[in-house]
Order: sequence, then C-alpha cells, then structure tokens
Amino acid sequence: MESDSAVRVRPLDELDISAVVEIDERIGGSYRPEVWERRIGYHLRRDPATALAAEVGGKVVGFMLGDVRSGEFGLEEPTGWIEVLGVDPRNRGLGLGRHLAETMFERFRERGARTVRTLVEEERGELTRFFASVGFAPAPLAALERKL
Amino acid sequence: MTQNTELLPPKFHAAVIRWRDEFLPDYPLLMESWEKFFPTEPPFRLCAFRQAGMCTTIECGEHAGKPKYQAACEMVPEQAHHVFGAIRAQASTEFGSIQQHRLTLARAQDEEEQFWILRMMAEELRHGYQMLHLLTRDDWSPVTSESHEELIEGILSMNTGSHLLGAFNIDFDSFVDSVVFCALIDRVGKYQLSMQKMSAYQPMAESMPKMLQEEAFHLAAGVVPMRRWVTRAAAGDVTITMKALERTINKWLQRGLEMFGDERGGGTNVRYGLKPMKNAEAQAQYRDEGGNLVRDLNLRFLRARVPGLAIGEAERTLDRILAGETVESLTRDDLIRLPHPEFFRRRGVPAFRMIGIDGETFTDPGAYARHLARHLPEAYLAGRDFKDYLDLLGQVASGELTAEEAAGKSPALRRVGGACPCSKSVRWVVDEPAVAPSLPVAG
Repeated sequence: MESDSAVRVRPLDELDISAVVEIDERIGGSYRPEVWERRIGYHLRRDPATALAAEVGGKVVGFMLGDVRSGEFGLEEPTGWIEVLGVDPRNRGLGLGRHLAETMFERFRERGARTVRTLVEEERGELTRFFASVGFAPAPLAALERKL
Repeated sequence: MTQNTELLPPKFHAAVIRWRDEFLPDYPLLMESWEKFFPTEPPFRLCAFRQAGMCTTIECGEHAGKPKYQAACEMVPEQAHHVFGAIRAQASTEFGSIQQHRLTLARAQDEEEQFWILRMMAEELRHGYQMLHLLTRDDWSPVTSESHEELIEGILSMNTGSHLLGAFNIDFDSFVDSVVFCALIDRVGKYQLSMQKMSAYQPMAESMPKMLQEEAFHLAAGVVPMRRWVTRAAAGDVTITMKALERTINKWLQRGLEMFGDERGGGTNVRYGLKPMKNAEAQAQYRDEGGNLVRDLNLRFLRARVPGLAIGEAERTLDRILAGETVESLTRDDLIRLPHPEFFRRRGVPAFRMIGIDGETFTDPGAYARHLARHLPEAYLAGRDFKDYLDLLGQVASGELTAEEAAGKSPALRRVGGACPCSKSVRWVVDEPAVAPSLPVAG
C-alpha cells in the first residue's frame, strides 16, 4: 500500500468518467457508464469545484460529488450536501475518504456553507462510521419516505 | 468566495446584444428551454464576473512575490503588449467559435446534445464579453492606437476566416465537428484559462475562475456525446462511426496542438509572470489528455462490443488489440488511433514536414496528400482550408517557400476585410444604443 502522503485530491473532470465507472463497478458489481456520464455532466455544469477525484500514483481511486444548495427542506441557509462517495475497495485504508471530505468541506466553506449534510442508509455501517470519523453526528432531521 | 458582476458600458453591451442576435439566433430558444434541459441550475447571465479574494502577488517569473498589476500602465510596454494580445486573441476565439457552431447546431441527432452545445455557445458569448470588459475597463493606449470603440468593432467584425487563431477559421462540416471541437479545442482553452488564472495582470486572473467553471462543462459537452456515439457504433449504428470520429479527431487535435504556439516559445510569458508554463510543456500535457480521451473512447467501445468482458479485463484486451492481435474479431483498425504529434502540422517545429499518422515520413507531396485524404473527414477535404494547405505544402516541397513562410500564410485569411471596421458598412458599436437598429448583415 502506498503511504497517505501519496494521495492527491483534485477537481474531477470529464476524463475521469471511466475511472468513476470502474470504481462504482468494483463496489456494486454493475457497469453503469450512462449513469455516471449524466451525473458527472450535471456536476460539471453546476459547480465543478465540488466534484472531487482522489489519485494514488496518478490513478483515480476515489471520488466525491457534492453541492451547495439553499432553500431545500425548509433549510434556508446554504448547505453543503455530500451526495456520493466512492473509493476503490482495493485502496481502502489509505485515508482517501478523509482527504476527499476535508477538501470538500473547504470548497463548501468558500461557497458560504456553514453546515454539511448527507444521508446514509442505516445498514451501511461502514459508511456511517466513516462520516462519524470526519465529524458528522446525527442531525435533528428525520429522513421520511413512503412507497408509491 | 465572492464573485462580483459588472456590465460593459451601455453602447458596448448593446453591440454585443446586436452581435448575439445575428450569430446566436437560437438564444431566445435556449432561454425558453432552460428549465427543461437545466432544471435547478442558475440561469444564464450575460455579464463579466470578477472573482474576489484571489492571490495579489505575482505567482511566477522574475517578479514573483511582487504585487500584481492592477492596470496596463503599471506594466512595462512589452509585458502590456503580451497581455493585450492575449485578451484580444481570447476574445476573437470566443466569438469565433459561436460562428463555427451555428453552422451545424441544427444538424444534431439528439436534442439534449444540441441544447448542451447551445448553452455552451451562450457561455462562449459571455467569455467574449468578459474579454471585451478587460479591454474597455483599462487604458491600453501604451500598446495600441485603437480606441475602445475601434477595438470592439474590430473584434465583433471578425468572421470565420479573419480570426486571430487558425482553429477558428475552419468551417464545421457536421455536428460531429461541433462536439469534437468542444472536446479538443475547448481543452486548449482550459489550459490557457488555467495559466491565465495566475496572470500577473490581476483583472485577467480574476476573470478566469468563472470562465474555467463554464469551460469544464464545455469539455463534457464534447466528451460525453463522443462516449455515447462510440457505444452506438459498437452496436452497429452507421451514422457516426469510429472512423468518422477518428478522422474528425485528426482534423482538430493537430490544430489544438498549434494553438499553444511554437514549441520553442512561451519563455517571455513565463518570465513576465503571465503564464506558468512554456508552450512545449503545456502542449505535451494537452496531447497526453488527447491520448487519455482516445483510450477512454476505445474502452467504452470495447465494453459495448464485448459486454462479457470482466472488469479490468477490458484494459488488457484493449492493449492486446492495440499491439496488433485480433480479439473477438476486433483489430486495431476497428479502434480510434491517436495521430502522431507531427501529423498534418502547419505551424510550429513540425510544420509541413509530411509526417504520417503513425510517424512515418513522406517525401512526395502527392503521396502525402493521398495519405491525409485517408485519415481526414471527406467533407473537410473538399473545403478551402485543406486546399490551401496542399498548395502551401507543394510550395514548401518545391522550395518556393520555407516552412516558416508557409506557416505564416496558414490558414490563408479569406475575409480580412472583416477585421477592419473601416472596410465594412456594418457597425456593431453605435452611439445611441437606445435606438434599436435593424439587424446587421455581415459581410
């Protein structure tokens, strides 16, 4: 494994789509290029600085997509939302998620956000522990849903 | 992070609106359709954005660490001349690309891709506006005798054939040109803007962040459709084939390389703190990105063509095919190949050297013309740009011209009158912007 210092976080770009598709496939087992072409296209239009790639040895092995939005769910203040985090399973343990999160927090701060929020499925314990490790705590908001 | 917005003086703003009405007639359609194609995204605004809070000391060159220049008069004349030239060239490219895209916008097969290009055109208009703002907010009299009115009139009067950089003087032949141009020529723009973000001229540096943000989408507006097209090509779609894409890449990538300037140059810009990289270094990085794009497209094609390939196996299979093996009935000829950096060059060190697609050398112009014809889009071969190239190539081969002299004539400007407001009956800048004139007729 490479040392923590070998991690480089930079804005994600259109040539990283293949790497993101591969990471997603390694995590979930499905090859979904169309999904990521559309999704990354959206983020590059909206604010490319809050779409991040983490490189080790010049290869993209992690990514994080976020966005600053106001006025949603009655939350008028600008809020940084972390929407997606993906780390190549072969590169876990290098602190990639932390590097990505810290860079993302800085981007959110620059855009006026003072709070960062995300949603995590309860059964994804590893993800919950990761977010706790970078300072997240349960919010006084409840995620609600109903089947249609 | 704060971005301040500013408008051009009213008569110059009105001139840009008149230009927009002429060369971007689908602008109202874009505004009407914004919610459909770009829901939740901020609306487009035609204005200049200036980023606050940027570095205020010179970041590279022999004056690194000293305060950045706030005005042209603070720079030595040669430095101001370089900045002025860069702003003018940038403005020319922004307006020029809209004139190219408008020829083929209506030919898009897919409505979403069409509106991506249309949005990109509106943002290029804003980039041109941003450059005009830099020209009009400062006094450039130390380096030009032209007034603000004359500068703006001159830029808005340029047309395909009279722009300052070669790639913007080549007509588009199809919507494939439009998309590949975004992926390759806008990529040069990304490099230039990234370097100018460090400019010692503070107003230039502050103009770059918003432009770079928009440029990121322009690159995606090129790359994502190309990825979709190779997937369709893998399924047997005959409308946009791998060969069509390869030939269009061959047409534009080499012009992109030349936009960085002569491989031996760029030192003055670095020394003056205007850019952090010399031409050859930036050009090499650009070509590497072109190579990454081509490899991505080939992988996307391969995985669509051979869906059973396991993860990671596709990369290895691609390498085997590129090495000459036939795998799953696919050969190297089924894939897109990256042209040699000296292929079809007309500027810079390799200009008119007659280097083939794989780096092979030709000595006979006729044989080289036939080689080029096999690797460039058929519609492009019939155009004036290619004919002019072949004429110059013949003159270089016969010793009538040196390669350097031929490079200076390439591309031949066909509408030079367009760059001189005195020679035209149309005026974009008028003294009474409140009185709406009839639409100008270019030419």
